[in-house]
Amino acid sequence: MHIAEGFLPPLHAAAWTAVSLPFVIVSAWRVNRLMRDQPQIKLLLAASGAFAFVISALKLPSVTGSCSHATGTGLGAILFGPSVMALLGTIVLLFQTLLLAHGGITTLGANVISMAIVGPWVAYGLLRGARWLNAPLAVSVFLAAMLGDLATYTVTASQLALAFPDPASGFLGSFVKFLGVFAPTQLPLAVIEGLLTVVIVNFLREYSGDELKILQFPLNTLATEVRS
Amino acid sequence: MRAIDHHAWTNRWRCWHPAEKLLPASGLLVLTLILPPLTTAPLVLAGMALATVRGAGVPLPTLLSVLAAPTAFLLAGIPFLAVSVDFTHGFALLPSQDGLRLALTMTIRALAAMSCLAFLILTTPVTDWVASLRRVGVPSGVVELSLLTYRLIFVFVERALTGHQAQAARLGYSRVDRSVRSLGLLAGNLFQRSLAQAHRLEIGLAARGYTGELRVLTPKRVLSRMRLVVGLGLVGLVGTAGSLLARGLS
Repeated sequence: MHIAEGFLPPLHAAAWTAVSLPFVIVSAWRVNRLMRDQPQIKLLLAASGAFAFVISALKLPSVTGSCSHATGTGLGAILFGPSVMALLGTIVLLFQTLLLAHGGITTLGANVISMAIVGPWVAYGLLRGARWLNAPLAVSVFLAAMLGDLATYTVTASQLALAFPDPASGFLGSFVKFLGVFAPTQLPLAVIEGLLTVVIVNFLREYSGDELKILQFPLNTLATEVRS
Repeated sequence: MRAIDHHAWTNRWRCWHPAEKLLPASGLLVLTLILPPLTTAPLVLAGMALATVRGAGVPLPTLLSVLAAPTAFLLAGIPFLAVSVDFTHGFALLPSQDGLRLALTMTIRALAAMSCLAFLILTTPVTDWVASLRRVGVPSGVVELSLLTYRLIFVFVERALTGHQAQAARLGYSRVDRSVRSLGLLAGNLFQRSLAQAHRLEIGLAARGYTGELRVLTPKRVLSRMRLVVGLGLVGLVGTAGSLLARGLS
């Protein structure tokens, strides 16, 4: 869920941009070094970024009738790891602004925080945690993708609530308000995204074992399962 | 998406230096955010719409469709700015005067800001933006990565649409559960083919002596002082008119 251009007050927009910058810079630095060591990885990353863009532009079947899109954050974090996702996600968000008019330039920082930083880290952490607890892969992937999606949406709601505190009940009231208003679309969306990610990961494990092995940075859990 | 990219490449102002377009648009965007929106935002909206449609020659329906992109977001969010939640007596939703005013100003402000963004993306191709990222100090590797991503997006969109059509023709989207499965297969397949494409590109480039840097010709754009001054003048005009009107009204 992208915050539209001009929706955040200038101070908030600047602050979110400042918060997101260090993450993106560190990620860019790491990816840059990775690309210098292995030039061919640039093409792989470009293909992955384009893939993430196309996935996020896919219309999901919606239960409530409204048109909704996948975020792809969970899948990206599972495949490429969150440290790479900060840069890839930023590039994808930038292109979504420039090619689809989704999101905005002043709100890019805020959207990067929710979709390229918090969402992927939550998804990655959950996947790691669930695997550590020996949960089945499908369950871990589902939880990671669904809760990563929900984390994104919660962060967006709190960003909006901070920008527009309720006159009577302040931040908390506003937070509840924004969570509530987007819940009818976001909750089913998160479940569907979770299911979708499981289907994708299953497909990849069945048919793309070799490709998964090429991706060296991603989760070893996936790769080892493919090998066994 | 194709419409935006198409007009970005074919409009009358495409060959202008990006800074000549960025200066007025970002100036007006900042004005929209800091000046009282009720008077400034309509001026910004009018100015940017005129520049896009009359100046750059982008058809009005295209501009309107771009402006409509965040409508869903606004429609969902705005009404809830107008009401306020009260926890003191249990849970109550009350419409409030301040909230209504806030909802109105936010709608008009978001629309004006969207018009600045629409002007930028409809008059300047993505490659111009990305190329100017290099000048801001973004590492050239990351800039190249973005340009490659841009190129591949169109390749993959084509594939996704073809695949989607084929699945839809075989009733792959007739029910919700089938849709999830079909979409998953489509995405998985797309991923596999994306990696294969990357691999083929890699081989092709290696055969042409690729060592980690893609050299491309960037067309030289001459910066026109006059256009910059006109742009600045527009920003100044809207700024003074907006704040004077706001003072007159209050």
